[in-house]
Amino acid sequence: MLRGLYTAAAGMTTQQRRHDTVTNNISNINTPGYKQANAVSRSFPEMLLRMTGVEGAQRTEIGRWTSAVFAEESLSIHLQGDLMQTNQSSDFAIVSNIEVDGLAFDASGKAIGPDGEAVFQPQAFFTVQDRNGEIRYTRGGRFTLDGEGNLLTGDGSNVLGTNGQPIRIPAGVSLDSLVLTEDQRFVDGEGNDIGVQLLISRIENPNELVREGNGNFRFKDGDGAVRPTAAGERFEVRQGYVERSNVDSAQAAVDLMAALRAYEANQKVIQFYDSSLQKAANEIGRIG
Amino acid sequence: MNASMINAMVSMNALQQKLDLIADNIANVDTVGYKRKEATFEDLLTNLKAQPETFQQPGRLTPLDFNQGWGARVTMIQPNLAQGPLKATGSATDIAIEGNALFEVQVDQAGNRAYTRNGAFQLTVNAGGDTILTTEDGYPVIANVPLAGGGTAEQPVIVPEGFSLVVESDGTVLATSASETRTLGRIKLLQASRPAALTPVADNLFAIAQGINVDDVVQAVVPNADNRISLRQGYLEQSNVQFADEMTELISVQRAYQLAARALSSSDQMMGMANALRA
Repeated sequence: MLRGLYTAAAGMTTQQRRHDTVTNNISNINTPGYKQANAVSRSFPEMLLRMTGVEGAQRTEIGRWTSAVFAEESLSIHLQGDLMQTNQSSDFAIVSNIEVDGLAFDASGKAIGPDGEAVFQPQAFFTVQDRNGEIRYTRGGRFTLDGEGNLLTGDGSNVLGTNGQPIRIPAGVSLDSLVLTEDQRFVDGEGNDIGVQLLISRIENPNELVREGNGNFRFKDGDGAVRPTAAGERFEVRQGYVERSNVDSAQAAVDLMAALRAYEANQKVIQFYDSSLQKAANEIGRIG
Repeated sequence: MNASMINAMVSMNALQQKLDLIADNIANVDTVGYKRKEATFEDLLTNLKAQPETFQQPGRLTPLDFNQGWGARVTMIQPNLAQGPLKATGSATDIAIEGNALFEVQVDQAGNRAYTRNGAFQLTVNAGGDTILTTEDGYPVIANVPLAGGGTAEQPVIVPEGFSLVVESDGTVLATSASETRTLGRIKLLQASRPAALTPVADNLFAIAQGINVDDVVQAVVPNADNRISLRQGYLEQSNVQFADEMTELISVQRAYQLAARALSSSDQMMGMANALRA
């Protein structure tokens, strides 16, 4: 049987996944705090092909071969997005460039540790509690105040403070009259603390996060390497700004075309196999 | 199979909504006291395509399962209450608010209230034959009017015949004639501490949805130097829509729409190819 037929079919499925991922990036080109995802493909494990049933001293090994390809993971690129000034007092943006001793992170947020392992840059996130009471992390800092003064994200998750409780602005106090300090406390015009401080979490390896939608991320099995940020770490929360999506539109347009054409190439290969099969089935050994 | 197609369709819908909002803002670039509406996007719930343990290969960076998103949606349409520029009109019934405050108007006989920044008022004769201060649409403007027996009541300002209207910067309404000055009351102003709970409704008014405690959202305020609120008679607050901002947003939304449309036609081509596998 022609093995490559299934390889090409797997190629089509993989390119479809890649196309879906790029489409989702394009869809979220205006979503604050959105992090671009990349579909990473992996080939099936290599195998060694050997001829069987051959007489004589011929070499019987044909060579190495991989049978197919699959979309392995959807990797979020946790790089800083651009800041945009909105002048809305309920908008917050995180600028995060956390340093780790002895490591120099490159532009993609990766560094090679002393033992040769790739280490990813820790990132700062807002900590929120969704409607089911679960802890989630987000970079989408467009918040709103409901009538009772709870600070909420767009999907209604409560933004948490350093005391682990949802942030609540006292009655009659408008966010316009509050200023966010360098250590994420809210103070009024005279500099008096109102007793509310944003909880910013430091995620040691952002790749461990699973995207959940609504701008939220979570750890797959509940807990992961996370702790509240400490003073002196290199990050900043700015009021009146939002962090734009970090999707690169030119890259997305190119990836879209690349996925489409790779899909087409795989489709052509299947058609070629089909015409070979049709010869084998209908033409070989035909009489007359 | 056609995840791209669904994804592109969903986000084109969301972008269309945002486009409608921008059109609304641009249409109101000259509406007195109009507050720009803002919306934001959020990515939709993702699902995970399950992967077996054998997919945990060396070099893999993320936890098992393939993460798939389904587009974006519009969330949080809310007014931006930033101050608009003031324009002198010279009309005694035009009153502009400087600072974070709203006028209160009565919208029906039952006494329901709505809030506005539109200070283009007029004098209207009501059913009782009194001349009262109302909005252009005829909704009475609420003021704290002193009662004959002491105390104050929240009711419209009645301007006596032969007197002209003077509004001071702290909201005090006076009626003056050549020989006499009378204090009619003080225009009621409210400060919105929860602007997101104000819903824009027709006639340039904001309402507070049922189920929300009005006192949580707006609090009565008296203009003074500390809260930096004052009233200006003879001025109108212009719309706070910035044409350049809206056009910039328009461009970015339009381009995003184009890209999504491109993803849609690209996924259509892919389906065509899958269909054409066997001619």
